[in-house]
Amino acid sequence: MTAPAKIAPRQLLFFLACLAPLSKLILLPAQLAAEAKNDLWLSALCSLAVETAAVFAAVLLSKRSLSFFALLERAFGRLAAVCGCIVLSLFFLFAAYVPLFEQKLMVQSVFYDTLPSDLLFAPFFLISVYFCLKPLGCFGRIFDLLGPLTAIAFFFLILFSAGEADLSALAPVGITGARGVFSGVLRTTAWFFDGALLLPLLGKIEYKKGLAWKSAAAYGAGGAAVLLFLALFYGIFQDIAPVQFFAFSKTAKYFPAIHLLGRIDYIFIYAMALAMVFVSLFPMLSAAELLKQAFGESKPRCLLYSLLLNGAIAAVSTVLSFSFPAAERFITRTLFWIFPLFGAALPALLLLLRERLPRRRSR
Amino acid sequence: MKITGDLKRDFSALKELLPAEDILSFDFAAEGGITFRILFCDPVTDKELLGTLVVRPLMHYRGGTRAEDVGEGLASPEMRSFSNLEELAGEVLAGNPVLLWDGMDEGLVVGTKKVFLRAVMEPPTGVTVKGPREGFIEDIKVNTSLIRRRLKTGELKIVFSKIGRRSQTFVALCYLEGTANEAVVKGVEKRLKAIDIDGIPDSSYLADFLCSRPHALIKQVGTTEKPDVFCAKLLEGRVGVLADGSPIALTLPYLFVEDLQAGEDYFVPPLRATLTRVLRLLAMLAAMYLPAFYVAAELFKLQLFPVKLLLTIAGSIRDIPLSPSLEMLLVLLMLEVLNEASIRMPKYVGMALSVVGALVLGETAVRAGFFSTPAIIIVAFSAIGLYAVPDLIEVTSMVRLLLLLAAGSLGTYGIILATAFLLLELTATENYGVPLLSPFAPARPRDMKDSIVKFGLRSLKLRPKTLMSPNKRRMNG
Repeated sequence: MTAPAKIAPRQLLFFLACLAPLSKLILLPAQLAAEAKNDLWLSALCSLAVETAAVFAAVLLSKRSLSFFALLERAFGRLAAVCGCIVLSLFFLFAAYVPLFEQKLMVQSVFYDTLPSDLLFAPFFLISVYFCLKPLGCFGRIFDLLGPLTAIAFFFLILFSAGEADLSALAPVGITGARGVFSGVLRTTAWFFDGALLLPLLGKIEYKKGLAWKSAAAYGAGGAAVLLFLALFYGIFQDIAPVQFFAFSKTAKYFPAIHLLGRIDYIFIYAMALAMVFVSLFPMLSAAELLKQAFGESKPRCLLYSLLLNGAIAAVSTVLSFSFPAAERFITRTLFWIFPLFGAALPALLLLLRERLPRRRSR
Repeated sequence: MKITGDLKRDFSALKELLPAEDILSFDFAAEGGITFRILFCDPVTDKELLGTLVVRPLMHYRGGTRAEDVGEGLASPEMRSFSNLEELAGEVLAGNPVLLWDGMDEGLVVGTKKVFLRAVMEPPTGVTVKGPREGFIEDIKVNTSLIRRRLKTGELKIVFSKIGRRSQTFVALCYLEGTANEAVVKGVEKRLKAIDIDGIPDSSYLADFLCSRPHALIKQVGTTEKPDVFCAKLLEGRVGVLADGSPIALTLPYLFVEDLQAGEDYFVPPLRATLTRVLRLLAMLAAMYLPAFYVAAELFKLQLFPVKLLLTIAGSIRDIPLSPSLEMLLVLLMLEVLNEASIRMPKYVGMALSVVGALVLGETAVRAGFFSTPAIIIVAFSAIGLYAVPDLIEVTSMVRLLLLLAAGSLGTYGIILATAFLLLELTATENYGVPLLSPFAPARPRDMKDSIVKFGLRSLKLRPKTLMSPNKRRMNG
């Protein structure tokens, strides 16, 4: 017997509460600080508010108990549904680049004293291949374990950081002006596509009354945690914040007890890093899930999707190994519009879809 | 082949089926004129009982030739009749003699099997300071009687079957009707029936067939040698399997958390039980992760050590010729060899082994500069820590090795990836529809009352939801 494909409401809420703190604390704080300076939290607030609405819309869609494929098939027919799945799958492949690369940079910086070989990151793709073969129910169960672990780790990192932060550095609010805040929002869209991540889960979520509101609240709570972290981050590093990458691994090291006990903050950093592995794998899992919906989910096919997707992203990572800053600049300055299109507009537009074909014909 | 009623023909047919030299026979005549022939397997038949229960009463027999009449003349409480020669041959091999005579309609089988039993004693595993000390033995009948003694209810079902083409091993499927989930009972029954193997020397053979994922890293069948634990699991809604010739009983569905619990936890206050369970878990985790983190820190991230500890370690490892990962691997392998040898070695050389292991290999290796003191200390702690959860030792020692290899090649990131892999593996495994990591993943708060945390018995009014028992309530009031 295999693990169930359904995700329980509690598992979804754990995942959503962890999603923002686990995916937005590596390079995003420095990027925001570079664009919006002490108003970084305002930029993040705008993006998080939009994403919270997108999450609400996406979870509301799961009320229909239809997969993303079925949703499109009912409205536009099978061919359009297949095309829709492929396009969204390609988007996830594209969107996975920044999280994977920042994960790689974080690994090189946080886990090693000296810069290691790029090859050390290769096993990550093996885990990714294996992960894409597992049912989604398995992902839900992982967050039953990692949800509380993330909360505890994040709490201690905040606790260790709080004493060193000078929050007056955030004042006066709005000094960078609307332009600075807006620039912060635009340049960081690559980190905000969480609404889209829920689309492959449609039809797999056990929808219960009020789940959409609860999901938005859970995601909002995670977002609030990110805002708190950003405030502490800027309070600690202030003017040098734009060059403080891998923020979550740096803020707690000034805690006084660390001089006596050693880097105990690493316990919590590693706990977060474990959960981050799964969050950074999630776009790949989503892409694989969409291909399963479009082309069937027999074991050999699942293996093929997983190998194809992970092979593609591994190849891109290798080719662009030394050009991440340029690639990131291209993504965040030229292709920035793609992320809100899929991450926020798509879930909202899907809410407007009406079924045209009878239910029994769909997958 | 059917019995003909002609003694000579039937006997020679049976001898053809049983050509072994230890299959013996003898004839005797009854007062009524019938000549009986007894065919028996010499090493496994109790001849004294055979004389008392069969030969002596039949010497005075004056009745007819029907099996039913002859049976009435016997003093044996265990008797069966078969008209099929293959079945009769099977009974002879099982130690039950077959009675033949001219004009019979069926052959008679008399239960005079010789039983070689060891006493019911405290098992070597699951030892408790407080609590019952009885353990299962190799005889399935004694084992089922130990269960019956604890569960005096008609709902206890013990279904016997024979598995193994050559061994014909008796296997008992035990469950409480109305308490065990029917789908699980049927699932276990189906898998047992599907087993087609020549022999079942031990219940561990069955365990392999009862797994949903036989190649998974972690076991999927619970084991116990204690009837009290076995009965407690049946009462929770599990299904048990006993095999003749094995003192290890199997229980299904298995939950990972089971092995963190010990029989004694139910005989001490809940707070104490919780504390020991937390300690067991922490000891197990530390035993698995400590060697890996030590190697990763030494190789890739010295910042993990506090400065003073780092200086001490640096002093210890300065002259060690081996790399940290190779050093740790060799010390671990040495420990595994010592462990293996201490189990297999005759007891009277055990002391010598301790001296050689601890002093010669440990102390001298450090003095000679082959291994560092921290490595020996860490491996020693790891060895002790793993035995805090002895039922998982096969898995945890493998995981420790996997983590060490990951740490030696990729550092702490390797440990994190290996942990991610383990998490995926554990969360994906389920047996008979029950997730291995339940009640933690998927989280079932109600079932957590007897997991790592142990609540008082009065709080455990309901059976674990995870086991899907149709009879949810186990305590009223």
